[in-house]
Amino acid sequence: MELLEYQAKELFRMVGIPVLPSLTIQDARKIKQLQIPYPVVLKSQVRSGGRGKAGGVRFVANTIDAIAAARSIFNLSILGEYPEVVLAEAHYNTERELFLAIVLDYDLRCPVLLGSAWGGMNIDSLLANLQQVAVTEEFSLFYARRLAAAMGLSGSLICSVSEIIAKMYRLFKEQDLDLIEINPLGVNHQGELMALDGRIKINDHALARQPIMETLNFSAQQRANSHHNTRQTSQDFSQVNWRWLDWHHPTGKLAMICNSFDSALLTWDLLEQNKVTPACSALIENTLTTDLAMEIDNLQLYREQIQNILQEIASFSGVKVIMLNIWDTAAVHREIIQTIVDYCQAEVAVLSPPEQILVNQVQVTTADGINHGNSAIALGESREVEKPPAISVPEFSVPRPYFVLRLVNQGDIDDLPSSPQVYLSSSLEESVKQAIAMVKSS
Amino acid sequence: MFFDLSSFVPPPVNPSLPESSLSMNWFPPNKVIIQGINNYQATVCAVQTKAYGTDIIAGVSPGHGGTTVEDIPVFDLVEQVQTAMGKVDISLIFVDSFQVLDAAQEAIAAGIRQIIIFTPRVPPQDTIALIKCAQETNTLILGPGSHGIVIPQQVWLGNLQPQFYQPGIVGLISSSRHLGYEVAAELNAAQIGQSMIVSVGNDRILGSDLAHWLATLNEDPNTKAIVAIGQRVNQIKSIIAYSKNHGYDKPIVVYLAGLKAPQAKVYRDAFTIISNHLSASIPVVNRDRQTVTELRKIGIKTAKKPSEIPLIIQKALASSF
Repeated sequence: MELLEYQAKELFRMVGIPVLPSLTIQDARKIKQLQIPYPVVLKSQVRSGGRGKAGGVRFVANTIDAIAAARSIFNLSILGEYPEVVLAEAHYNTERELFLAIVLDYDLRCPVLLGSAWGGMNIDSLLANLQQVAVTEEFSLFYARRLAAAMGLSGSLICSVSEIIAKMYRLFKEQDLDLIEINPLGVNHQGELMALDGRIKINDHALARQPIMETLNFSAQQRANSHHNTRQTSQDFSQVNWRWLDWHHPTGKLAMICNSFDSALLTWDLLEQNKVTPACSALIENTLTTDLAMEIDNLQLYREQIQNILQEIASFSGVKVIMLNIWDTAAVHREIIQTIVDYCQAEVAVLSPPEQILVNQVQVTTADGINHGNSAIALGESREVEKPPAISVPEFSVPRPYFVLRLVNQGDIDDLPSSPQVYLSSSLEESVKQAIAMVKSS
Repeated sequence: MFFDLSSFVPPPVNPSLPESSLSMNWFPPNKVIIQGINNYQATVCAVQTKAYGTDIIAGVSPGHGGTTVEDIPVFDLVEQVQTAMGKVDISLIFVDSFQVLDAAQEAIAAGIRQIIIFTPRVPPQDTIALIKCAQETNTLILGPGSHGIVIPQQVWLGNLQPQFYQPGIVGLISSSRHLGYEVAAELNAAQIGQSMIVSVGNDRILGSDLAHWLATLNEDPNTKAIVAIGQRVNQIKSIIAYSKNHGYDKPIVVYLAGLKAPQAKVYRDAFTIISNHLSASIPVVNRDRQTVTELRKIGIKTAKKPSEIPLIIQKALASSF
């Protein structure tokens, strides 16, 4: 979870990193209670960077200006985010600005101290002068001095900056941080230091043991993001869940449904190798159970979840083929086949009178794919002519998709109804080949 | 823009090198415990592996001591299991991610030297601390995020499904579960089967990586060829390092699934992490192609899709005899 500036500064204050006197306000009128002498800086508390350029930081000289400026900051969205809080802070005269950070390096498997004598908004010169010191053993102050020296600092700054780094390191370890950053660390003409802005990221999977979570007031947006991040790990007792992967391609003609992230990865890869980019991918996850009684409920749930996914896919225009790649029990596979065939037939039944279903039963070959598409459109038109609007269902006016089911471990399925709309195979690469042929012919 | 990294001092010991962990050798365990057995996934795993014949002697779940889960006795502490039931060979850990370090340290303190962590996304500072502790005590850690180990028709530890495997000659090391199933299906169809299947997990820091198990399987007499399956190019860097330092005498095939899929980028080094944090518009140098080329240069075969794997192995085995 990424903390807002004022929350990061609360943590800084806890360990003795110097921060300016400030007030957080949730309402522009509250600024009248300000005890800090003017001029004052008002800062929008949003997560996104670049708020200065967007107008989220204002200098004000008196209360009247401050109320007006605070109002406009509350009404200013920065990359889609409105602030819930505005931070009012004293002004600080800096002579120079430094950059300090600590992150975990996954290659080195240790924390790394980072510093640049060119702190502030100019990222290019900041990075060009960025120095690093890896903390390979137990932290000791000399690591921080090593960084300060590499940054080109001299005199009393070597020790005072090192002290700040040591305090940052303490937060990094104790609060399970992924990242801590002070930018800029202001230095005034007397050589005093002040953390003027800061960013902190707490590791999402350690949040549960952090008491700090109780004391910080998190915004709705922060909570939503954190929930999103931790949702995947939560030990959910419900048996079948589904969600969209964050993979979209607006002109794709194929939708994927897989039962694990790595299956989706593989299926997408094989399609992409053949120049077919899927439109989207859904994940349906089934926490396996050996309990037979529960399994029956599970199958019903599986059916409903597949239906939900299909319903959402139906709203994507341009999807001609739906490919499922599912590894599960034979019982689940039976349920999937049944659900898909029902889905195809249900739509046909709504679409057209029975004799016209036969028209739609084209051969499942690549060449006929084009015909199939046309006939489905033709059916849609005839429905509008022949049936009163009250019976028609709008979603079904688009041509129905073609299904490619890749199901391992099919078991005995001879008794299940089949549909010309559905291709079934236990081979992944055969299924991919079929899906590609269908996409290319549509 | 070019950034000078010459001032950057690498640490003296890179713990990811397999040398340091080679002594932690895998042996098939007899007595198995499950930490976090009250967790639903753990219970399912316990029931299934026990039905297969794995000797799950006890579960550990603080606060649930004295109860049973599916007829398996539950204790509050790992050491209580040892007192009551004798020496434990391996612990399967299913506790929440922020409790993993504590649970694993408890197991190590009780003298257990093989641990499989099934919980994924362990806080990285915890994983680092755990690896350090494991190295000092010669403990083998598989995971975080592992799905376990299978030796077809002999050993089943974890939640891989044994019906997808057949006994055979290929050692399979995978970052994930389903990629392993897919490759096993191709090996089964080609009737060469598997000698052992290891799921190492997909966290950014692992207790034992693809290269560690490459070394183990290279020593294993039942394994004639090795397949390493990854999702990201950086996972195979350790394989390159291992092969350069040790050499190997069995055919190795690397299969990277998902290179063309729109996976979220994962940044690993401090400089890339911080520059991406400061500004998302800074381009990140992609060295994937170079790494794959390097792999080919040292003679390791790469497969583009699962069906190529048995063909490569059969060809390599035919030419070596």
